[in-house]
Amino acid sequence: MDRKRIAGLLSSTTGLALTVGIAFVIVIILIFVLSKEPGRAIYYFFVGPFTKSYYFGNMLNQSIGLIFTGLGIAVAFRSSTFNLGGEGQAYAGAMAATVICLSLPSLTGIVGGTAAILGAIATGAFLAGLSGFFRMRWGTDQLISSFLISAAVILIVNYLVTGPLDDPTNSMLTTARIGQQYQFLRIFKPSKLDISIVFAVAAAIATYFFMQRSHWGYEMRMCGINREFSRYAGINVAKYLMVPMAISGGFHGLAGAVAVMGTHYRCLKGVTAGLGWNGIAVALIAKNNPVAVIPAALFFAYLDAGARAAMLHADVTFELAKIAQAVIFFLVTAQALYGFFTTRKRVAA
Amino acid sequence: MSNTSFPIPMLHSTIRIMAPFLLAAIGGLFTELAGMLNIALEGLMLIGAFFSVIFAAATGSLFLGIALGIVASVLAAYIFGFISLHLRANIFITGLATNVFAEGLTMVLAFQIFGNKGVIRFANLPRLPVLSNPSLQRIPVLGDILVGHNILVYVSWLMVVLASIVIYKTAFGLRVRGTGSNPGAVEATGLSPRRYRMYAILISGFTCGLAGAILSLQLGAYVPGVTAGRGWIALVAIYLGNKTPLGILIACIVFGFAESLSNYAQGVIDVPADFILAFPYIITVVAMIAYSMIRHYRLRGSER
Repeated sequence: MDRKRIAGLLSSTTGLALTVGIAFVIVIILIFVLSKEPGRAIYYFFVGPFTKSYYFGNMLNQSIGLIFTGLGIAVAFRSSTFNLGGEGQAYAGAMAATVICLSLPSLTGIVGGTAAILGAIATGAFLAGLSGFFRMRWGTDQLISSFLISAAVILIVNYLVTGPLDDPTNSMLTTARIGQQYQFLRIFKPSKLDISIVFAVAAAIATYFFMQRSHWGYEMRMCGINREFSRYAGINVAKYLMVPMAISGGFHGLAGAVAVMGTHYRCLKGVTAGLGWNGIAVALIAKNNPVAVIPAALFFAYLDAGARAAMLHADVTFELAKIAQAVIFFLVTAQALYGFFTTRKRVAA
Repeated sequence: MSNTSFPIPMLHSTIRIMAPFLLAAIGGLFTELAGMLNIALEGLMLIGAFFSVIFAAATGSLFLGIALGIVASVLAAYIFGFISLHLRANIFITGLATNVFAEGLTMVLAFQIFGNKGVIRFANLPRLPVLSNPSLQRIPVLGDILVGHNILVYVSWLMVVLASIVIYKTAFGLRVRGTGSNPGAVEATGLSPRRYRMYAILISGFTCGLAGAILSLQLGAYVPGVTAGRGWIALVAIYLGNKTPLGILIACIVFGFAESLSNYAQGVIDVPADFILAFPYIITVVAMIAYSMIRHYRLRGSER
């Protein structure tokens, strides 16, 4: 590593540490202001997730979806394509997986489960790919179109969950339960942690090698750095307006499938809510590095788990996590905190 | 009889429903013209909604409630602007952060103050004054549709007029537009584009605060997540309205009508409410694609 890269790494690490530190300080101040037993609330917020294997397992479980959506966003951002429709793509993926599982009740878990996962990936990839296609073909603003399509899709999936696919035997707004054979193995009982965390970690590593070592990954990154230069270098830049979007959507669809088949076993209304937005934060904390997405997702899940533990054991509410996450969101792209060493690169157009 | 009277209340409620869209979108227009994608509208509205109803109930004064709701929203907008402009964070990400922050803050405060996270009703909350003028209401059709709304609805119309004047007829408006289209030129005249961006963000905070105040004060209660995506619809209206005040007004009428239809249509026409609510997004994405297609082929034509 040359000196410049070390300096860049150093300033981005101190920037991240500063960001997280400020978020924690704000949470602690808020707890002191709001709580009647601040010591207890602070203890459970920070240490709670590690006090019981149930909390710890659920924290790991929560990170799975975030790893997938974080990867999806990282791939898109690396290629300078903008996927703002993660929420809808994940939700549609969850619905697609549920529909496939429910319509194939008698297949074996492997065959039907694979079909459900592939269906979810295809659904997400199609929805995001649409925005890529419009931009490739006519230069339609990708940021806005992906958001608009996603917002419409969320409402349509809501209609399916509460309307034609609603389970009448259940008072919740949800579809029927998927078959036993499609439910992922739980590996850390009594928590909800399931086997898909292995896939998530493997996917992160595979994505890293795909982006760094493969022909497509290289061309995508080149387009991300400078699309005009890549055009002159003979790269098919139009293709890479769509491919990264489709990959990104595929990851979001997968996150939806995993939420259903690993955790909830049914498509509840809003089952993936927040996965898309938080995936963006996760990717940004990871600086769009696929392997760094894993700790970033764990960190986000940790904030949630800490707030949950604090709610159960003290007098503060779960939404404290949201404030901490918002502070991190606010500061994670603040270049002033990250020194001048890092390259100035704008994420959104 | 019911067939002929049915559209009138529906159009009347269209006018009521569109007011918050309109206000938020007009504020968002300033940031859009200044060259920023402002997705914080939703969060700023939520902050306005929460604090206006809390302060109105606490002080017993409608005016103070609205004013303090706006102050809270402008303050949040200032934080959003400060981090985006002075700490040079990506404005799109800080916009998301503002939305998450607003959601978290209102929930945490509601829980701490009232001990629950549900709907908070205020028994002695002053009602928004309603404009009722018998002689105006006697105007056929229009009188029924346009008269009899709370005053903030009329304020929102006034805002559209005011925004048109400021944007197109004042030096300030020209500078805001210049900041978006050619920041270098603004800088060359000795002005700071960053300052005009901040002004635009604060204006959006102001109008979103007012938009939020309408939402919660006409309910007379605070409902968690009361904005329910209205800030996003406002953003969408800016695009469908082609970034002009008049276009936004028309887009808001269309969206207001769609939502009003979804309330009235249940059982009358056989379209699920969710589909009607999805309509603003679908029509806007179609319009955007059509717009980019036209531009694409026109550019191509001129190259030949």
